[in-house]
Amino acid sequence: MAEPSSRDQPPASWLPDFCSLSVVGAVMLVAEVVVLVIVLSPSPQGMDLQRLLVASVFGEWLALCCLVSLCRLKPVWLRVQPRWGPPIALAIVVAIAALASALVKWIDEGAHLGLTNQGDSPFDFATSTTLIAAIVSSVLLRYYYVRAQWQRETRAQAKAQVIALQARIRPHFLFNSMNTIASLIRTRPEAAERAVEDLSELFRAALAAGEGMSTLGQELALIDSYLAIETLRLGERLRVDHDTATLPADVPIPSLLLQPLVENAVLHGIQPLPAGGVVEIRGTATPERIDLSIRNPRPTVAPAHARGNRTALENIRQRMRYHYGDRGKLEVDAGDGYYLVAVTIPRA
Amino acid sequence: MKVLIADDEPLARERMAAMLAELPDVQVVGQAADGREAVLRAEELRPDCVILDIAMPVLDGLEAARHLAQLESPVAVVFCTAYDEHALEAFDASAVDYLVKPVRRERLAAALERARRFTGERFRMPAAPAGQHPQRRTHICARLRGNLKLVPVSDILYFLAEDKYVVVHHVGGEVLIEESLKALETEFADRFVRIHRNCLVATDRLGGLKRTPDGRMFADIRGAEAPLEVSRRNLPSLRKLVKAL
Repeated sequence: MAEPSSRDQPPASWLPDFCSLSVVGAVMLVAEVVVLVIVLSPSPQGMDLQRLLVASVFGEWLALCCLVSLCRLKPVWLRVQPRWGPPIALAIVVAIAALASALVKWIDEGAHLGLTNQGDSPFDFATSTTLIAAIVSSVLLRYYYVRAQWQRETRAQAKAQVIALQARIRPHFLFNSMNTIASLIRTRPEAAERAVEDLSELFRAALAAGEGMSTLGQELALIDSYLAIETLRLGERLRVDHDTATLPADVPIPSLLLQPLVENAVLHGIQPLPAGGVVEIRGTATPERIDLSIRNPRPTVAPAHARGNRTALENIRQRMRYHYGDRGKLEVDAGDGYYLVAVTIPRA
Repeated sequence: MKVLIADDEPLARERMAAMLAELPDVQVVGQAADGREAVLRAEELRPDCVILDIAMPVLDGLEAARHLAQLESPVAVVFCTAYDEHALEAFDASAVDYLVKPVRRERLAAALERARRFTGERFRMPAAPAGQHPQRRTHICARLRGNLKLVPVSDILYFLAEDKYVVVHHVGGEVLIEESLKALETEFADRFVRIHRNCLVATDRLGGLKRTPDGRMFADIRGAEAPLEVSRRNLPSLRKLVKAL
């Protein structure tokens, strides 16, 4: 269980793990490519094998120095704010490159090894090396940033799907419905039969949700099935005032977009009220759009555990944004003692 | 054995009653449609066992069980719910057994057998020390001239400690409870604030502070008859709170 929960948390920083073999390999490969590009670029000295070897050793050594330092600083990455991680990492790379290249140049000049360009001053050599290191590490950091961002988005998408699925097949609803049916079988077998039909329809829709579009007519029928079961369950406490007969049935809409809103009205509005109340469902249609509103009474003191409501709303909002962009609307009016959700669905 | 059924769904109550009627030596003495009614009916009917649904309006089953544990006559609590996410918490509240809906006949019979044993020993459920409640209560249970009274916490103006009692001043009057102010303060830390060694006030009822000519500080409580004295020790934190309101 520890793994999924830690995966749910936002990453403390999108910086890669500098100690991991894959990052070390990638950085050393990039260092070698950079060295190759520099050595191959036209220059007065021309291309020679000794220069390539020397430059490679220097480049890889510099890359390793930076990696080891960044790896050793792991506790820092865990502690600092995510936005400070990259600038700090970059500053460390720049500092190491500057110091190391100055040192190398100084040793080279002192020992007369002639491994570096003879004309350059130590300052010139250190400056160009540092600039190259800064540019290359910026590009690498940017790459890891984009990759982390992409991973996070994929994760959010997967989570949204899981939430949607859990919301549709709520165990409470399933088992309460089963209990209702068990009760009806003794006393009113025909009502039990209808309840089984309604429940099957709801589950068929839940299992198919996400697989393309449904129609407004089908969605409204689904709401009726749902309300039929809940009316059996809650008895006189649940009263429904429907005014959706004038809506066109053939408008395509995403499946299970509306039923969760009615479910919220029942679960968070009617069920916590000992005397129950009326769920009002109103719809109007114009050639451009469909307007639907669901209004329910609710207790003034909200119960402690009503978090499911917002998850469902957020999920519906996401799906509307995906299907309709800015043309679709979902507005909530959470008043004192009532709750109103208004949905606008554009036509065509 | 006398059994009380508490469930907010009429058909669930109906089925439970029908199943209980088929068991030997079991008599359904009453039904309740929410947790508050369950506690009040249990006080009145003195059943041996209460079958409590967990998700109920006003007072959920878990809180109802906590109030039931404080009744004078011991009562065995059997929880009954559609889904077992609350199972552990339910056993913390000292339930005798735990049933999932739809309940099987044999399972119900076994639960009542356990309840019967519980009643036989006349076991007195220990009241969970306040502050260790798995969740805050929404009602305070008190006795007024021998009758049980459940006061919604949202109706309470302030708690005033007097000798070994705490007087609960609420919108509809006042009741005595045998709980410590310290425990109440811990349990309702987000709703009530200490203004004096002997007094906790509902934060949302706090009006202004005023000083009398003799230098003592008083806090206005909306809905209360008279302002209450603020102690020197609690004044700085209270000032900050009143300013933030």
